[in-house]
Amino acid sequence: MFWHNFKYSFKTLIRNKTLLFWTFAFPILLGIFFHMAFSDIEKSETFDVIDIAIVENNTFHQNKFFQKTFEAFSQKGENQVFHIQYVSLKKAKDLLKKEQIIGYLQMDDEVHIVVHSSGVQETIFKYIVDEVISNQKMIEDLASNEIGQEYSKENATIDYNKIYAEITKLVYSDTESLDNVSKTNLSYTMIEYYTLIAMACLYGGVISMFVTNYKLANMNCVGKRTSISPISKIKILTGSLLASYVVQMIGLALLFIFTIFVLKVDYGEHILPIFILAITGSLAGLSLGIVVATFVKAGENTKTGILIAITMLGCFLSGMMGITMKYIIDKNIPIINKINPASMITDGFYSLYYYPTFHRFIFNVVSLVIFSILMIFLSLQGLRRQKYDSI
Amino acid sequence: MKKIIEVKNLTKEYKKLKAIDHLSFEVKEGEILGLLGPNGSGKTTTINCLLSLLKFQEGTIKIFGKDMHPNSYELKRKIGVVFQEIAVFEELTVYENIDYFCGLYISDKETRKKYIEDAIQLVGLENYKKFYPKQLSGGLLRRLNIACGIAHKPKLIFLDEPTVAVDPQSRNNILEGIKRLRDSGATIVYTTHYMEEVEILCDRIIILDKGKILAQGTSTELKELANIDEKITVEVEKISEKVIDKIKRFPTIHEVNLNMNTLIVTYKKGQDNLGKLIDCLKDNKVVYSKIFSERPTLNDVFLSLTGKELRD
Amino acid sequence: MTVFKTFWKVVKKYKGTIILYTTLLIIFGGLNMSANNQSTQFVDSKPDILIINHDQNHKLSNHLVKYIKKHSNLVKIKQNEEAISDALFYRDVNFIIDIPKNYSQDIMNGENPTIHIQSTGDYQASLAQMLLMRYIRVQNIYKTKTHDEEELIQKINHSMDKKATVELTSKLDISKTSNVSTYFSFASYSIMAVVIFVICLVMSSFKERKLHKRTIISSMNYKTYNRQLLLASFLYTCIVWLLFILLGMFLFQDVLFTTRGILYMLNSFVFSFCCLTIALFISTVVSNKNAVNGIVNVIALGSAFLCGAFVPAEWLPNSVLNIAHILPAYWYIHSNDLLKKVEILDFNNLKPIFINCLVMIGFSIIFIIINNIISKHKQKFN
Repeated sequence: MFWHNFKYSFKTLIRNKTLLFWTFAFPILLGIFFHMAFSDIEKSETFDVIDIAIVENNTFHQNKFFQKTFEAFSQKGENQVFHIQYVSLKKAKDLLKKEQIIGYLQMDDEVHIVVHSSGVQETIFKYIVDEVISNQKMIEDLASNEIGQEYSKENATIDYNKIYAEITKLVYSDTESLDNVSKTNLSYTMIEYYTLIAMACLYGGVISMFVTNYKLANMNCVGKRTSISPISKIKILTGSLLASYVVQMIGLALLFIFTIFVLKVDYGEHILPIFILAITGSLAGLSLGIVVATFVKAGENTKTGILIAITMLGCFLSGMMGITMKYIIDKNIPIINKINPASMITDGFYSLYYYPTFHRFIFNVVSLVIFSILMIFLSLQGLRRQKYDSI
Repeated sequence: MKKIIEVKNLTKEYKKLKAIDHLSFEVKEGEILGLLGPNGSGKTTTINCLLSLLKFQEGTIKIFGKDMHPNSYELKRKIGVVFQEIAVFEELTVYENIDYFCGLYISDKETRKKYIEDAIQLVGLENYKKFYPKQLSGGLLRRLNIACGIAHKPKLIFLDEPTVAVDPQSRNNILEGIKRLRDSGATIVYTTHYMEEVEILCDRIIILDKGKILAQGTSTELKELANIDEKITVEVEKISEKVIDKIKRFPTIHEVNLNMNTLIVTYKKGQDNLGKLIDCLKDNKVVYSKIFSERPTLNDVFLSLTGKELRD
Repeated sequence: MTVFKTFWKVVKKYKGTIILYTTLLIIFGGLNMSANNQSTQFVDSKPDILIINHDQNHKLSNHLVKYIKKHSNLVKIKQNEEAISDALFYRDVNFIIDIPKNYSQDIMNGENPTIHIQSTGDYQASLAQMLLMRYIRVQNIYKTKTHDEEELIQKINHSMDKKATVELTSKLDISKTSNVSTYFSFASYSIMAVVIFVICLVMSSFKERKLHKRTIISSMNYKTYNRQLLLASFLYTCIVWLLFILLGMFLFQDVLFTTRGILYMLNSFVFSFCCLTIALFISTVVSNKNAVNGIVNVIALGSAFLCGAFVPAEWLPNSVLNIAHILPAYWYIHSNDLLKKVEILDFNNLKPIFINCLVMIGFSIIFIIINNIISKHKQKFN
């Protein structure tokens, strides 16, 4: 009997094209869109070589310090900061207008920077120029000090070049000792894909709702037929729900395969926890679908609408439409995301990806299981009531 | 004969509407009981209550001598229902649909296979086994709906308006099938608002209106209630009030009605009524084209009981 | 005018959809309003930095904090490791500086204590790292020359005062126009959803097989029938457009009541019209409501993602932008981006915008032609 139900529920599900589109194809399509839109965001934020120009004039030619320093900054390699064009003032203005450079440096009595607008790259440009100026000043300062000291020692043979070289070496020696201890997995667009998985998990609710509706006499006529059959509703439902769960998992597996192999999404290194999160996440979706199917007294379309609205709201709060949303909620009203299944799933993946420890992941999985059990328990109360006031 | 269904004092109220009002009736083994009534008279509600799908305020329902509850699975096993709406899966073929619903009752695969074939044959869907519901015409869909309800060979069958909006060929096919079900030993409760079907098919008839039983009995018994015996319909070109008055003075006359060019004359008793009417028309030089006499129908019964037509 | 009137009755059924997408637009427009204001003076970008100071109440480390504070936004976060890690991941801070215990003392003793940092690796973080490194370098250099904490601080300050002068060439306050552009670019999604989705659904109601049969056999001339439908959908599109324009006027009065504003409006009108032709085209090809639902969602979301309605086009990979050329929304959004930056509104500068409009009109004409061919074909053979 169980398998009889399972078999036919499975058949009805995989033959329903609309259902399959929204639960299988739509998340994948959305994933492709995410990939296309977000693949460059982080790249564009990471440090790129900045295009600038330097106006060639006498002052600049005479200032060996500036020349050498900027030569060093534009040396190809890992530490390259600038790509510099040495041009006339007219050309520099022209380049700036065409936005081929973000700004140019002009040295007269003062060091002068011209940029088109304010921005991060422009600020970096300015900082570096400031630094060069202050270094130059520092060297002069230290050198005059040193020379003064040599004078006071009445040393007749002052080797100016040596002093200058030593000081320059001092200024440019890497004495600062910084240790970058940041975690390596910092790609926040991953959150987008995690919310996508969360959405797919919860969309599974549409599938379980679909099979549940067929068991409710007040929903449709097939439901009536099922209600008058000599088998308890719960028994019939179990087979159908298992079928819907299997269909859901197939869809999710496709989405995983697609995101991992085509979109190169990084889910962290641990396969087993990912699997556990996927099955508990789907379970939460499944239970959400049953609850809506059981308790919302409305037509099939309205029920689907409500379920999708809940799902999308959940995904919105967990960062699908703007990653910072999840953080804002987590920081300010954490309780909302503690009861939001989409956020539990998203946060579960995030903790696997970002944190080396498992306690946050386990917390999320346990939350999902509790959520599912609670929803299923509630639905059972509703389903057990088998007579209706009206059909 | 055994009582298959026993209903006592069944009352079902919606918020403002009394859908069933202290209804009591019985169904005996092997009979076809017709529940006849206009739309909204409480036929479907009665069936839903019998099936324990609906809550009701008062009354007891016994089926096969036992109380009916949502969990009376042994009773449910013996019942088959054909709902008014088409209750099939869009995504399953004809065969799969029947197999699914039959499978809820019969777990043995071999028996089930045989039963399904029987059901398909009964409703005449042999050539459509692999069709999806979407591809079937209205009549064929109704037949599938019936097959799904009765494939498990139930002892008691409820048919709720199975012939609504069905082409004549399918209708005949369906009615034949129902007779065959009765012949194979099933007890049938049949609701409809088509009195012709009830007359052909049913052993006993209950006429319902506003949730109450107006009358019950065999078709002949009911017609006696109508206190008319013959109905003559004449198509006339022109007829004066004077002639109508003359007809009204006939001794056995019940009523005379003129509706456009159709004159309907009903009689309490039938004895040479047609001859006398024709004579009267001839004498008064009334030109008539068609004339026919018939026995009263259940519609006339209903009309005389409630003052309104069955189908309105 | 029966058909015309019925059209609006069916539209009413979908008012939920219209309200939903309009609300999205308002939320989006409103969110962007609060974005930082840019002026015509050069302003330093300030990275968000978190300092964890284990060496409090020492002059040298305090001075470091003071210096960082001057050049950045110091962020306050609960001092717990998970909160800090989350903050870094979600870019609440770009850079974390962990000043070790006894930092000041170690420096004065001639040691070189290690500072732990955490960085998001983006521009802001690079900027923060530059700030920090420059400071430490100066500090370490002068440390070799002095042993007095006060003197050291003084020398550091002294060496860091001299600065280059900065001149801005742009006289346009981009912050305002960029808000308007973002609004209109996002509106492309709302327009697509509201115009295409609703018109397709309404049309599919009219074209439902049984209903369609009834129409064909009715006494109404098929051409009149079609004309009424077209007129109604055109009017509907205009109303939607007007709604979004009025909303825009409400949000950005100062920009929209200028020549630039008129260009924004013109651009969005051409785009709305293009959406109308797409809607009519889709409703000719597809009549199943479920299919309409899927197709429209994919087209609207796809256009929005690929053309830069959600993510600014400048952040999109070139390959994506190349594909996006086949979508009308690309040209529309491109014009919005141009309008954001154009300083002088003369013919030369506006030429690309007019070209974009022409491309959209071209799209519309193509859709109308294909639509006509297909619907004629369908009428004959079905």
